[in-house]
Amino acid sequence: MAAVTGPQKAPRRFRWRGVKFLSGVIVLYLALYFWREEQTMEALRTSLGVLAEIVPILFVVVFIAGAIHYWLDPKKLARHLGEEAGWHGWLIALGAGILSHGPMYAWYPMIEDLRRHGLRDGYIAAFFYARAVKVPLLPIMVHYFGWPFTLFLSLYIVLAAWIQGWIVEKVES
Amino acid sequence: MNGEKSYRRELKKAAIGIIAILPMMLGIVGLVGIFRAFVSREMLAAVFTGNVVSDTLAGTVAGMIAVGQAIVSYILGGELLEQGISLYAVAAFVLSWVTLGVVQLPLEAEVLGLRFTILRNTLAFVFTILTAVAAVWSAQWLQ
Repeated sequence: MAAVTGPQKAPRRFRWRGVKFLSGVIVLYLALYFWREEQTMEALRTSLGVLAEIVPILFVVVFIAGAIHYWLDPKKLARHLGEEAGWHGWLIALGAGILSHGPMYAWYPMIEDLRRHGLRDGYIAAFFYARAVKVPLLPIMVHYFGWPFTLFLSLYIVLAAWIQGWIVEKVES
Repeated sequence: MNGEKSYRRELKKAAIGIIAILPMMLGIVGLVGIFRAFVSREMLAAVFTGNVVSDTLAGTVAGMIAVGQAIVSYILGGELLEQGISLYAVAAFVLSWVTLGVVQLPLEAEVLGLRFTILRNTLAFVFTILTAVAAVWSAQWLQ
């Protein structure tokens, strides 16, 4: 387990991560194939569809991560999202969470990278929870659940995201 | 802008970061496919019994295990409401669908560390229930 525990300066050596996990999933597919051939093929087709959906998002993540590294000085970044950051750090984390798209795991590499430059764990927790507010989908939520529920849920999600981030900071300190 | 940096080099570094976790990501995508093919909407709806407390907990757990686009959870949540499932349970289900994910836990632990992953997901689980209940209470109070 290569847990990142804080800012590190040593260059990373490339290594594949999750090879055993992927091998386990392949074995699971093989076992399921002999049990339910048709459903397993459907699962495989679904997975390929999901993969096609997330590839463009991964490209976006690469471009954003590259741009952040190029234009932002890690020291400045650490000031905005690191130990020295204040309330505006929370606003950035919550705002970025609300505006981010795609599956959560697509953002892990970028978050890991920012964390290496000093991004606080509280902001990460707040970012991930604030992602529950899906701005483009709000009209659909209003359609199914009504505007009062949608309004309160969205407000409470942001509040819960901030509280969780604060608790993470307290626990880790 | 920065003499020592090149945008292409930074892009390459970011791309290598993504490439390194491709096996883990492919594994997760594979599990997503298995889930969608083997777990039907009817199976998910069957976990609700009619008791508000246990249904809220069941909704949180079902949403945590389920995977897919958030819009699917809204549609499924709307169907559950029509079937008479309480709004508390549906709210918890919809919220945990987007904030918790059993399938992605191995990757989160690998990338962000086991301790942080356990802490974050435990908090998210508790706050999903609290947030769902508070949102339903507030909406009912307003109406």
